[in-house]
Amino acid sequence: MEPDDFDAMDDFERELRDAMQRRTAPAGLKKKILLRRAEGPKRRFQGPWIFQWEPATAVLAAMILVVVAAAAGFGEIFLMHQTQERRRGEEAKQQVFVALRITHHALEQMNAQLEERNRNSK
Amino acid sequence: MASDDGKPNFEQLVDEHQSMVFSLAVRMTGDRGLAEEIAQDVFLALDKNLRKIESPLHARNWLRRVTMSRAADALRRRRVRGIDLWVEIDEAHVAQGERRSSPLGARVERLLATLPEAQRSALILRYQEDLTPEEIAATLDAPLATVKSHLQRGLKLLRAKAAIQLKEYVRGA
Repeated sequence: MEPDDFDAMDDFERELRDAMQRRTAPAGLKKKILLRRAEGPKRRFQGPWIFQWEPATAVLAAMILVVVAAAAGFGEIFLMHQTQERRRGEEAKQQVFVALRITHHALEQMNAQLEERNRNSK
Repeated sequence: MASDDGKPNFEQLVDEHQSMVFSLAVRMTGDRGLAEEIAQDVFLALDKNLRKIESPLHARNWLRRVTMSRAADALRRRRVRGIDLWVEIDEAHVAQGERRSSPLGARVERLLATLPEAQRSALILRYQEDLTPEEIAATLDAPLATVKSHLQRGLKLLRAKAAIQLKEYVRGA
């Protein structure tokens, strides 16, 4: 066979083709195939779809479910924690505002008293 | 060949193609027992996919492709386990009534076994199945140029080995 000449076969290739005739399949092959084919559905568990999976697939699916559930759980905890922190922050801010208002009120009173004292001394 | 709905019938497909599937598997693996297992698995896979098979030609091409792929997988598994790839074909174990391969055929198979797997696949499909390089490329899902290269290199190597070991049989080597 010359490069790119795949149509013409030389003597060696012809002999090779003759030597490589298909072999006869073993006598019982068809019977074994049909037997395994008939056994196939019986071997499978006829339960809910998830139990018909191969064990490895079922284990993998279970692992994925566990990971997803754990991620969802952690997410929930994280969100709750964030909400609590925000609420505490709001409460602290309100307390600071109240303290500022009280301070402001006290300063105004002191200022008023000082002004009154100044007026009296004059 | 086809059933009432025009689709191929499973048992007829087994009858018609068991020899092809078994021959491909045994020449790829060199192990009759393993080849028989592969053939069974391939036909059971065909049964599962029978609805997708559109014609007898489609079935034949599907069987060739899946057999080559399963045989390659089996060889890979054996390599991983460190088992000797090629088991000597014991002609004494050939069941009675089964056609024995010719002395030349048996020796050619032994020589084929010494070729790299990719070259062996291409040569088996070329000379057992009489496929063109384009058809081999489609069967093996490989680029045409690669298949042509495997064919040329494999044939050259086989020719060189045959020139030494099969002098009494081969005229053109």
